[in-house]
Amino acid sequence: MADVTAGGVRFHVQRLAPHHRPGQPEHPVVLIHGLGMDNLSSFYYTLANPLAHAGAEVILYDLRGHGMSERPRTGYQVRDSVTDLALILDALSIDGPVHLVGNSYGGMVALGFAVAYPARVASMVPIEANFSIAGWAEWIETGRQKTSSEPAAQSLLAPLGRKVVRMAGAADELLDRTTFLADLRAMQPIPAAELRRLACPVRAVHGEHSDAVDYGRHLVELLPHCVLTVLPGCGHSVLMDATAALREIVLDWFASQTPAGFR
Amino acid sequence: MTHDQILIEIRAMLTEIIGAEYALGLDIGMGTSFDADLELESIEFVKLSAMLTERYGDRVDFVAFLATKELNEIIDMTVGEVVTYLADRLAPAGALDG
Repeated sequence: MADVTAGGVRFHVQRLAPHHRPGQPEHPVVLIHGLGMDNLSSFYYTLANPLAHAGAEVILYDLRGHGMSERPRTGYQVRDSVTDLALILDALSIDGPVHLVGNSYGGMVALGFAVAYPARVASMVPIEANFSIAGWAEWIETGRQKTSSEPAAQSLLAPLGRKVVRMAGAADELLDRTTFLADLRAMQPIPAAELRRLACPVRAVHGEHSDAVDYGRHLVELLPHCVLTVLPGCGHSVLMDATAALREIVLDWFASQTPAGFR
Repeated sequence: MTHDQILIEIRAMLTEIIGAEYALGLDIGMGTSFDADLELESIEFVKLSAMLTERYGDRVDFVAFLATKELNEIIDMTVGEVVTYLADRLAPAGALDG
């Protein structure tokens, strides 16, 4: 199954099942990617297959407007992303709890989903997650002005090849034809009082040099049961820069969350 | 299935993914790399994996194939590596069929 329609929007979904343990009852692990140029492939290339190989049922999906999912004009606030995830799980007939792994904005979606649907979350691993994305819209626009202020940006991109042209085109579509940036600007932080109510086990991972590392420390203050690892030498791109270390943390975490054993 | 038969099928899948117009200008062979030569977007490689799993079913454990590879190994992969893996996995069943 590759396409799932949820709330009238078509989402690209990939479901990986463990080969060697068919039918093993286990909460699925849902992987939620970050914003902008990201899509489900960042998890597919890093954590998804090792997790499935270790025995988990893994679900990956492209956020609306990203990857191979539909790009509707509106609906890019975190509350929309939370509703999208709930409707995707409904469409997959998954009404029991799931484990969530979210990278960057995907971590914020995981936290927001757990606040909204506490009974549907078995545990979560927010990686470089934020509770607030104040300033992101301006940061994206500044980065874009630098490239588009060059004369004939598209003709400069063309020699870089098909992949760069296509990725830049997809980003332009998201920025120009949707409410993505306006929604980013309007997005409210997840209130600390709501985060404090989270009861599910939480395993947070951050990069030492990331701007988001303080969110991890704040999360531990709000949730004393949250286990935080700060990976030395890493920035925000923990998933790409410290894949092996992160993979061990995530596999160990799900082993500890699975009484019947895992791996 | 032989390597050649699998290569023909993968070539057809890649043509569907990247579009006939672009694919026609390429000679997709065993040494063609997904990234450097085809400039396949990573999300398109995911699509190819899904198509291969759908086509060859449980006889091919693509999860196991990718689970042991590091990020750079997946990015640097050639068409031939996938063909060889598939041929190895499909060989016993093919022998039984024959």
